[in-house]
Amino acid sequence: MIISSSKSFDEILESLKGENNIFVIGCDVCAAKMHTGGEPEVKDMCARLEKAGKNVVGWALPIGTCSIHSYDSLVEKNTNIKKADAILVMACGSGTSIIAKLVDVSVYPANNTDSLGGIYQGNVFHAQCAMCGNCTIADFGGICPTAQCPKGLLNGPCGGSMGGKCEVNSDMDCVWELIYQRLEKLGRLDLLEKVIEPKDNVEDNSV
Amino acid sequence: MIDNMPLFGQKLKSGKFVVTSEITPPKGNDISSVLNISDSLKGWVDAINITDNNRAVMRMSPLALGKILADTGHNVIMQMTCRDRNRLAIQSDLLGANTMGIDSICLMTGDHTTKGDHPGAKPVYDLDSVQLLSMVKKLTQGYDFSGNQLEGTPHFTVGVVSNTDISQKMQMMKLKKKAEMGVDFIQTQAVYDLDQFKEFVESVKHLGIPIIAGIIPLKSAKMARFMNNNIPGIKIGDDIICRLENAKDPVYEGLAISAETINEIRDICNGVHIMPIGKSLNTVNLLEMAGFSPE
Ligand code: SF4
Ligand code: SF4
Repeated sequence: MIISSSKSFDEILESLKGENNIFVIGCDVCAAKMHTGGEPEVKDMCARLEKAGKNVVGWALPIGTCSIHSYDSLVEKNTNIKKADAILVMACGSGTSIIAKLVDVSVYPANNTDSLGGIYQGNVFHAQCAMCGNCTIADFGGICPTAQCPKGLLNGPCGGSMGGKCEVNSDMDCVWELIYQRLEKLGRLDLLEKVIEPKDNVEDNSV
Repeated sequence: MIDNMPLFGQKLKSGKFVVTSEITPPKGNDISSVLNISDSLKGWVDAINITDNNRAVMRMSPLALGKILADTGHNVIMQMTCRDRNRLAIQSDLLGANTMGIDSICLMTGDHTTKGDHPGAKPVYDLDSVQLLSMVKKLTQGYDFSGNQLEGTPHFTVGVVSNTDISQKMQMMKLKKKAEMGVDFIQTQAVYDLDQFKEFVESVKHLGIPIIAGIIPLKSAKMARFMNNNIPGIKIGDDIICRLENAKDPVYEGLAISAETINEIRDICNGVHIMPIGKSLNTVNLLEMAGFSPE
């Protein structure tokens, strides 16, 4: 799922300067799980915008804002969207860009999109995959260094790793420590001897 | 083959003990203090190692300063990190360096951008240090990364850096991968613990690669404690810290400790690399104390 975080309300208000009739769209999948765009957050946003002097014309909560069928399906959820002269999207950047394709008014993000991660036993895991377009995670026992090492190193740790922690942030494990432990457990330390070729960035279909 | 090998590389190959030192380029275009340091090192060192935006702090390009120092008669080892350039930029800089007379390089991953003075910069790391070595090998065989034939083949004496703590299994595994790519010397993290260093030398002996021991003279007990807590692979014993604490002149004591270290490891390694953090002019004093004389 997409890991997102809320922008500060001040930043949102600043971006909405000059916009009055606002429609709010959340997302009932990832953003709801992250509490950055589920029903409670959307309702709270509407109330705060009203309090700040904005006219909130309505809100909607598509199941997946990144995979909306059409503009009509949004109107079906709430016809008041037609009265909006700006739309505030509480989803990830992908959801926001899909909304921007469907509507003819300005679209504003309420969230920052941080990474592709997950939730497991209630814990949020950031940056589990960097969407490189050529998955080689099996080489690393299912732990991706492209996503989890800030340098994306594929052949072992940098010299900055200390006591199993990462040079960039000492609260974070060095991913190579985790990979080593995992492969040791799997009896596959041999995988670490393989020289891994550089990523072919052509396969990264993002651009 | 030995004929067109770099001078520094030739000396290394011949098995003679080499001495290198490090110069950090200026942040700006005033090279006067750098030239003072390099002048003072003339005759004392076999090569000057020039850092590449070390600690991710922006400075003059090691390629430019390398050319300047090569023109003043120094053998230069240009450091090259993976942080600031993609595979195109690295290759073009290496070809340029080689053409201008810089034929020794020392390759490393490089500290992350967030550790330096431009924390918002985009960290590149298109290649890691093992992949960078493999690319350099291709260049020296006459081909670029993509397999296109080069017009003129460069020759490099290639060094890598390494921790000496063999309990760091992943670090040692990575060193092994680097060695497979063809490495002419291993420059180590600063040595203070002789047993740790001996163990390291023993464990990599089979690779047959010359080892140049890193030497950083300590300036105070405080610096020693700081390094113990913050620099990976550094182990400075209480005896050393005690000596620094009780010394009237801790800077001199630090040099004396380094001189002793150099003499104790001389016979088991192939050279020393002196990194006098912020005190470059002390390098000559240290070499004198360790019994070296200028060539
Ligand atoms: S290898 Fe690529 S696709 Fe696979 S987990 Fe890592 S970033 Fe994602
Ligand atoms: S310490 Fe580990 S995770 Fe952090 S940058 Fe270095 S190799 Fe990557």
